[in-house]
Amino acid sequence: MNDFSVEATGLSKYFGDFKAVDNVSLTVPAGSIYGVLGPNGAGKTTSLRMTLGIIDPDEGSSRIFGERPQTVRHRIGYLPEERGLYPGMKAREAIAFMGALRGLDWSEGRRRAATFMTELGLERVIDEKVRKMSKGMAQMIQLIGSIVHAPDLIVLDEPFSGLDPVNQERLEMLVRRERDRGATVLFSTHVMAHAERLCDRLAIIARSQRRFEGTVDEARGLLPMQVRYTPRADSDPASVAALLPTGAEHRGDSWFFPVEDAGVEPLLARITGSGLGVVGLSITRPALHDAFVHIVRQVDAGFEADAGADAVEEALA
Amino acid sequence: MTPFLRNMFVIARRDFLAIVATPTFLLFLLAPLFMIAMGLAGGMGASQLADSARGAGRIVAIVEAADIEALRAADDRLRPAFSRGDAPPPLEFRINSPATPDPVAIAREKGTDTYAVLSGPFDSPRIVERNAEGSAGRYLALLANQVLRDRAAGDVAPATPRFESVRNGGSSIALQQSLGFGAVFVIFLLTLLLAGQTVSSLAEEKGNKVIEILAAAVPLESVFLGKLLGFLGVAVLFIVFWLAMAMVGGFVAMVQMDPTTLATTQNANKATAALGAMPATGWGFFLGIGFVYFILSFLLLGAVFLGVGAQAATVREIQMLSLPITIFQVGMFSLSAAAASAPGSSLAAFAQVFPFSSPLAMAARAATDDNIAVHFLALGWQAIWVALVIFLSVRLFRSGVLGGGRGWKFWRRKTRAAQATEPR
Repeated sequence: MNDFSVEATGLSKYFGDFKAVDNVSLTVPAGSIYGVLGPNGAGKTTSLRMTLGIIDPDEGSSRIFGERPQTVRHRIGYLPEERGLYPGMKAREAIAFMGALRGLDWSEGRRRAATFMTELGLERVIDEKVRKMSKGMAQMIQLIGSIVHAPDLIVLDEPFSGLDPVNQERLEMLVRRERDRGATVLFSTHVMAHAERLCDRLAIIARSQRRFEGTVDEARGLLPMQVRYTPRADSDPASVAALLPTGAEHRGDSWFFPVEDAGVEPLLARITGSGLGVVGLSITRPALHDAFVHIVRQVDAGFEADAGADAVEEALA
Repeated sequence: MTPFLRNMFVIARRDFLAIVATPTFLLFLLAPLFMIAMGLAGGMGASQLADSARGAGRIVAIVEAADIEALRAADDRLRPAFSRGDAPPPLEFRINSPATPDPVAIAREKGTDTYAVLSGPFDSPRIVERNAEGSAGRYLALLANQVLRDRAAGDVAPATPRFESVRNGGSSIALQQSLGFGAVFVIFLLTLLLAGQTVSSLAEEKGNKVIEILAAAVPLESVFLGKLLGFLGVAVLFIVFWLAMAMVGGFVAMVQMDPTTLATTQNANKATAALGAMPATGWGFFLGIGFVYFILSFLLLGAVFLGVGAQAATVREIQMLSLPITIFQVGMFSLSAAAASAPGSSLAAFAQVFPFSSPLAMAARAATDDNIAVHFLALGWQAIWVALVIFLSVRLFRSGVLGGGRGWKFWRRKTRAAQATEPR
């Protein structure tokens, strides 16, 4: 058995002269939940489409379960970013149709559709036409349609957008259940909370390139931990400042500063030995959101610097 | 069944049901009723006009009273030689007297069309005619001539001919060519009515974004072929429905109408004559291969329209495509019709080989040429072109619409590759 469900290497794609995706590689371990994160327009959707063989990359290649994506279509479930269903179809038929496209028998598709819809609280619209449903409901129908054939790889492009919090939670439950069933789940999002709760591994794409690949903890580890320290009220600020790392900010009663993993214990030792007291102390690891923003800002800063340098060069020329 | 075929049938099933299970389909199915009703109304109007015109017309002979019988007898003998549509207008007599108006004045009398007026002696009659190119005046001259001949010959017993009609086994080339043209026309008409719909068939998927789901799930070739198949199913249903209606209509007519009346109807005679003309390949093969050629014609033209329509970005663009599509179909019909009227010519050979006119031209060939093997060759050739058109349409769709194919601009890829390897 292949250890990786998806192995996309060096994917690049031009739209006209714009390089929408630049040398992006994705390696998704089998049986994991893998997130592709990035700001709007970063190239997530194009990367997923190339990975699935919906569009051809200009450079690079993609393997799914060790084979060309086109040869294993029946083992894949895909929810595209642009949702689409035939409005005239009934929900149950729409799901069975999507299953039939992947080789599932129509009657079995209908049966599973009813089961899934009942589990997700959608039993009252089983025989309702799609055009009569709300956007969120239709999205859930499409989501069920993409997993009704029990695929080995589920690819969801921005699956949470457009869903209310209740349905978002249901979707998270569904994703975990599919992973527990043995499926690999690859999804894109720009909402960090979902990725943080779900992902075993993730990639961050910004400005067409992959900027990070690893676990959620590794992403969060890109930034130092944040410390909030509140000494006794009668402490001399100068003494406190001398105790803490350079750059610690004094706001109100508290001091804020970052600390590396290795610096936590020495810091605690210094504080307890200083005699300044501890009214409050919190050491928190940054959220994925912070890591994401940090990475994207770094990339943007690099781009702006490059653009500035180019402008200077042009001016000099 | 291979996954490709299974996918194709899934798409075809969806499209077929999506079309058939709507109230609009009923309107589509019954649309020919409007055409028939309009045709009947127009035909009845034209017929009434023709009848009234025929009734109002006349030819006039200004003769002595003693000559009337001889002239009437000559008219009675000569008139049956003309078919109903070609017969001269009814003959009227005016007795020559000083009170009789001048022939020109008679020709100008109001209330009726007078095509020719004969006056004077039979050996040198004066004939005033309305139209120098018409035959009415010549007919009056012929009557005068006939009276003179009758008088010269004296009493001669009229000939009593025995007419024998050859109804069956008539395989005249002209009738076979007519059958060929009929096949071309029927296939063209059905294709014109039914294949044009394929142009907008991908618009739905593009509009409601289902296309990406399909593209991810199945090969686009099976999507295109499945859609064609779905529309073909609708077309076949349409044909079967109207065939059944025609058969029921025919049966009712046979039961309700007097057989003698039926047989003497002019149109029935024509139909009988056409049926009497056996196609060169035999009726069974001719009808069967004609149906298969309709399918191939539908698939070929449908594939082209589907491919072209798939490139259209908006409904307006699709609407704009209907004119070139109709012109293209009429062009193929004209080519095939010309080929049907000249079997064995190089034009016919071209029409039979050119893929988009091939089904029509080969159907015509089945009427005049008894070579059956060539039809299987033609079917193979046409099927290859269906596959080729689908393949090209998919390539264009992927590169143009999905924006994802490697496309046709291979030189740009080379340029980019060169740029990528250049040291910076």
